[in-house]
Amino acid sequence: MNYTFHTVTDVLESGDQVEVRWKDTTFYGMFISRDENVTVIKLQNGYNLSLDNSSISRINLLSKWNPKNIPLGGKRGKGKKIFLLGTGGTIASYVDYETGAVKPLKTAEEMLFAQPDLAEIANVEAEVFLSILSEDMKKSDWIKIARKVYDKINEGIGVVVTHGTDTLSFTSSALSFLIENPKAPVVFTASQRSPDRPSSDAYFNLLGAAKVAQSDIGEVCVVMHSSTSDDQLDVHSGVRVRKMHTSRRDAFKSINSGRLGSVDRKLEIKWDHYTKINKEDTRLYDNVSEKVGLLYFYPGLSKDLFRDFAERNDGLIIAGTGLGHISGSFISDIKEYTARGKIIGMTSQCFYGSVNLNVYTTGRNLLEAGVIPLSDMLPEVAYTKLSFLLGNFDPERARELLTTNLRGEISGRRTE
Amino acid sequence: MKIGLEIHFQVKGRKLFCECTAEESRNILGTFTRRLTIVSGEKADRDAAALQESMKGKDFQYIKTDNSCLVEMDEEPPHIPGRETVETAIITSLILGCKIVDNIHFMRKIVIDGSNTSGFQRTGIIGLNGNFRANSKSVRIASVTLEEEACKKLKEEDKKIEYSLDRLGIPLIEISTEPDITSPEEAREIAESIGLAVRQSKMIRREASSIRQDLNISIRGGKRVEIKGVQSLSQIEKVLTKEIERQESLIEISEILAKRNVPGRISLQDLTDSNYFKESDIISKGRSSGKRVFVFTLPGLSGVLKSGKYRLGMEIADRLRTAGIGGLIHSDELPNYGIELGEKEEVFRKLGCGREDAFGIILLEGNKIEECIEIIQNRIEEALHGVPAETRGATDNGTRYLRPLSGSSRMYPETDIPLIPIREEYMKEVGKKVPTSVRQKIDHLVMLGIPRQEAMNALWKEYDEVLEHFVISYGNPKVCAKFLSVVFSSERPDLLKAEKLIERYSRGNIPPESLEQLYEGGEFVSGDSRITLKDDGTLSYSLRTDDKVQVEDIGLDFKFKDRGMLNLEETIDRVVEENITTIKERGESSFKLLMGQVMKEVRGRFEGKEISELLKRKIAEVLNNSGK
Repeated sequence: MNYTFHTVTDVLESGDQVEVRWKDTTFYGMFISRDENVTVIKLQNGYNLSLDNSSISRINLLSKWNPKNIPLGGKRGKGKKIFLLGTGGTIASYVDYETGAVKPLKTAEEMLFAQPDLAEIANVEAEVFLSILSEDMKKSDWIKIARKVYDKINEGIGVVVTHGTDTLSFTSSALSFLIENPKAPVVFTASQRSPDRPSSDAYFNLLGAAKVAQSDIGEVCVVMHSSTSDDQLDVHSGVRVRKMHTSRRDAFKSINSGRLGSVDRKLEIKWDHYTKINKEDTRLYDNVSEKVGLLYFYPGLSKDLFRDFAERNDGLIIAGTGLGHISGSFISDIKEYTARGKIIGMTSQCFYGSVNLNVYTTGRNLLEAGVIPLSDMLPEVAYTKLSFLLGNFDPERARELLTTNLRGEISGRRTE
Repeated sequence: MKIGLEIHFQVKGRKLFCECTAEESRNILGTFTRRLTIVSGEKADRDAAALQESMKGKDFQYIKTDNSCLVEMDEEPPHIPGRETVETAIITSLILGCKIVDNIHFMRKIVIDGSNTSGFQRTGIIGLNGNFRANSKSVRIASVTLEEEACKKLKEEDKKIEYSLDRLGIPLIEISTEPDITSPEEAREIAESIGLAVRQSKMIRREASSIRQDLNISIRGGKRVEIKGVQSLSQIEKVLTKEIERQESLIEISEILAKRNVPGRISLQDLTDSNYFKESDIISKGRSSGKRVFVFTLPGLSGVLKSGKYRLGMEIADRLRTAGIGGLIHSDELPNYGIELGEKEEVFRKLGCGREDAFGIILLEGNKIEECIEIIQNRIEEALHGVPAETRGATDNGTRYLRPLSGSSRMYPETDIPLIPIREEYMKEVGKKVPTSVRQKIDHLVMLGIPRQEAMNALWKEYDEVLEHFVISYGNPKVCAKFLSVVFSSERPDLLKAEKLIERYSRGNIPPESLEQLYEGGEFVSGDSRITLKDDGTLSYSLRTDDKVQVEDIGLDFKFKDRGMLNLEETIDRVVEENITTIKERGESSFKLLMGQVMKEVRGRFEGKEISELLKRKIAEVLNNSGK
């Protein structure tokens, strides 16, 4: 059968066997895809060829694609029950080497198939809840995730939330505030190398997270690689963790506080300090204010931009320089906004160390203008905290709680 | 007989997917440990299941070196490949008559032995469907691919393999031929010719370890066998010859077994607590270390395990070895190992062996015997069909079993690197950089008076351009050739320095004048030592590689022939006249071509320097007159 170009993709599906005439050569292989420029053919030796459409004179269909049905097996897993909540990124995937496509897995059965070791340690119930990129996560998604998590931990089931790495610490800190006194573990994990790669960190991270979700930790935490080696995981507080590297496995670090614990290669947990589950009732706050913003100060920041920012928000977290400064030229504006009842909190771009507005004149002037110094709270954490506070409390109470340590996000003492 | 080659060359410059240098380094910066996991959609695929099983609990330890970065550590996405590297692969493809792909599409080829930190090797096809002619034989080139080198294995233990990141990521060009080759000699010849042709890009790393070959061979009646890691050209012929002998004997064995009662049932006895083999040191040692002593029948295998050229016993032992079971003793090798003929016959009777049966003895932990017998049974089953499909490794005297021949590779697209389009305009530029063919180069050098063998040598060692410059500047083609061949083949450090200088010269990094200083008066000075080329007064030259010793007579004296009626200027004028259009077209760069023509006529009668100076002047005159 011969097809003219404009009908190729009408007729051919990925996986079909075809004969392709390219320049004066004929290839036999599998049709993969075709866009306006390039046709991709998978040769029998596994290589993909991307041929310019203009250099192909003929494509013949030899036989239609006959997809294999993958028997997934009915394993349910053994051990204490956990709930696996997928919120985006690839929580589990496998490569179909026949076509070279990376396919996501969406059910508990599929999860156990792709993570055979998980079934050895936990009885897994799974749900792929959201399927969005980490950077597309919205404040309203925090609420959706918090509700889902709250339902499960109320049944006493530990929850593992898988999340894209980019904004993971926003969501982990938001959930820390939105869920008070969790009566089962809430554990975030992710991967810096996607699970289609044999070297993926997803496998170990997920096993460790499952183990922590079966423990007695009563605070929201994040489980990720300790180092570049696959030999230890760190358990971080959800309000102390930050992604500190664009690509390394050990990108996540606890800032201004030690890690809560670690998980070794044998999946044994060693706690450094952590909050145990207590008898208090779990409480869910299911509001966040959309009118809170986070501003990174830089030399040359325009007044218009600052004003626009302050006008649009009720609460404003500034990531200032050094001990917590922004240019003195903004002080009169700040004074005006705080007088109008807006909450302006100061954090540091340095991340490490505490804000201190008493050391320099600018700092003292900022204090006088009503800026609230936020100690050693991370800018992102201060942002989620203020969003949470203004969503659930009146401004007076919010102002008071902003500088109160609620979930371990602030400490008076630092050793590093 | 069908033989195909896969030839690998490392490319100079930077690594394929990062800015680290492609030069090896042993400076250690630290270590880290990883594991690999493979999840395949093909659940029914036994291969994938076996792969996964093989990796369970295995740790890979990597040594970081100062020529590696986060990319080799699999901690940073790959960078776009270097332009020069891609160009070298394209030029290589063109040398081999391949068609260049429209777009380079890198793939991930799953490799889970830990030799790639990522668990896959990135590889992309550059050229396809080529044809290469070597002497009288033409061979089809299936593909030329550009891929990343794997880690170097340093140490292997039961649960841990240690690798160095040093070599990981060095660009590798893989040339795969179709199985068009029909004898070991031909295989060597073709590998050699391809090697020499590809080297002409001057971008191939020159270290001995930078080239290696894999061989595919099948003979009539047998399956395909892949032989990995043939390190040198001379090894190709030897390894293939041995492998063909092995395969032929396996086919003969299959014919013998067809007439016997094979496969028969293996019967097994535990002789640990018996009085057998008390005189055998090996067995006594095994017994006292707590191993059990098993004897078992090998029905129908008498005389094929080890006798004459038959070595089925070794084939079985190789399979056991890869499963971690060593020390198979079989009846074809007895009496030996302290086991007497009498005892051998006693075991025969005890096991109830027939005339055609053999038996085996093995020392094992008790729980491994079932696996052991299964492996043996499988190999016997295969022996009925001649040559099994296997991946084998090259050794000093033949090949050794490594693993079953893997099916087609597991590959999927490398999404971190965009397609690299190869535009037509770019190809026109690259086409100009394709070096002249080896044959043309040799003819040219021979025309300058350089002996053919020396010309060949110069091309292999990539000093052909330097040699040409020497001949044109100093005359004496044979002396220059000999002189440079000593410099370039030397392993002495001071001479290596000289080589570096000449290499820099050939890359245009130092001006020819400096080189002339080095060679002034027939003396090559490098640091404190000197290579002296001396006319001993009898018009015979000798080469002195330092002040004291090692005077080497470089053979043939250099004498000017009778010039007869030949006039140099007239000859040059005539050649210039004949090539006037070429000179006007190409300008000064026509010199090389004309020099060749003049040399052909006057070689051995005038000094090279005299010829080249006069020719340069004549060319300049033509160009001045034509106003160029």
